[in-house]
Amino acid sequence: MVLQDVKPTRSELITLKKRIKLSESGHKLLKMKRDGLILEFFKILNEARNVRTELDEAYKVATDKINLACAVNGVVAIKSTAFTTKGSPEIKLSGHNIMGVFVPKISSIGVRKPLYERGYGIIGTNSYIDETSDAYEDLVEKIIIAAELETTMKRLLNEIEKTKRRVNALEFKVIPELIETMKFIRFTLEEVEREGTFRLKRIKAKAKD
Amino acid sequence: MELAVIGKSEFVTGFRLAGIKKIYETIDIEAAESAVKEVLDDKNVGIIVMHNDDIANLPEIVAKSLNESIQPTVVALGGSGEGSTSLRDKIKQAVGVDLWK
Repeated sequence: MVLQDVKPTRSELITLKKRIKLSESGHKLLKMKRDGLILEFFKILNEARNVRTELDEAYKVATDKINLACAVNGVVAIKSTAFTTKGSPEIKLSGHNIMGVFVPKISSIGVRKPLYERGYGIIGTNSYIDETSDAYEDLVEKIIIAAELETTMKRLLNEIEKTKRRVNALEFKVIPELIETMKFIRFTLEEVEREGTFRLKRIKAKAKD
Repeated sequence: MELAVIGKSEFVTGFRLAGIKKIYETIDIEAAESAVKEVLDDKNVGIIVMHNDDIANLPEIVAKSLNESIQPTVVALGGSGEGSTSLRDKIKQAVGVDLWK
C-alpha cells in the first residue's frame, strides 16, 4: 500500500488495524509451518544420505558383476539373455501428507524373482548371469527407495522455499508498510483535530472583539 | 507404473536382466535428449534411471527440467560419485546451508 493511496479517515484506520492483526497472525503461522517443514526435512535428510551411499555401492557391485559376466560369456550372449527376460517390476504410487505437502510412497511388486521365473533358459547360461540378475534386482530395489526419498526431499524443499519467501515478505515488506500507513493516518487525524481547535479559538477571539 | 532406463548400451543391459521393459538405448546426445523428452511426457513412468555422465551431457534446459521433475522422478547413478548434485544445490538454495556431507 502506498502512502498516497490512503484516505486519512477513522474507518480506514480501523480496517488497517484489522489488517495488521491478520498479517501478524499469518506471519506467526507461516513461521511455524516453515520450522515444522525444516524439522521434517532434517528427519529425512540422514536417511536419504544413507540410501544414497547404499545405492552407489549397489551400482558398483552390479557393474562389476555384469563386467565379469560379459568377460566370461561375451557381450552378445549377455545381451541376448537380457532380451529374453519377462515379468517387469511394477511400482505403485500412494501418498501421505506432511504439513500440506503431498509426499509419495512408492511400493514395488515383482522386483525380485526366483531363477525359474526370470524367463531365460538355464541351459546356455551360467551362474555369472544369475548373479548379475541378482545384483541388478537389488539395485532396482534400492533405486525405488531412493526415488521415494528424493522426491520427498524435493517436494519439501520446494515448500520450504515458498514458505520462507512468504514469511520474509510479510515480515520485511507487508507488515512494515501497513504500520507506516497507520502512523501516517494517525498523524494526519491529529493534525486535523489540532487545526479544528485552533480555528475555534480564532473564531471565539474574533467574536469577542 | 514402471521404471524407465535411458543410457548407453552397457548401462542398460543390466537393467534388462532385472526385467525392466521400458528401456531407451541411446547412442549420442541427440538420441538421449529425445528419449528424455519422451519419457517425461509418459504418464506411465514413475522413475527414470540415468547415468550421471549422460545427464551432465544433456543440454542445460533438458537437464534442468529433468532434475526438477517430481513425477517421474530421476535417479542418477554412477559417474564421479556426485550422485545428487541437483539435490545438493536445491538444499543450498532452500535452507541456505550445505547440509549434504
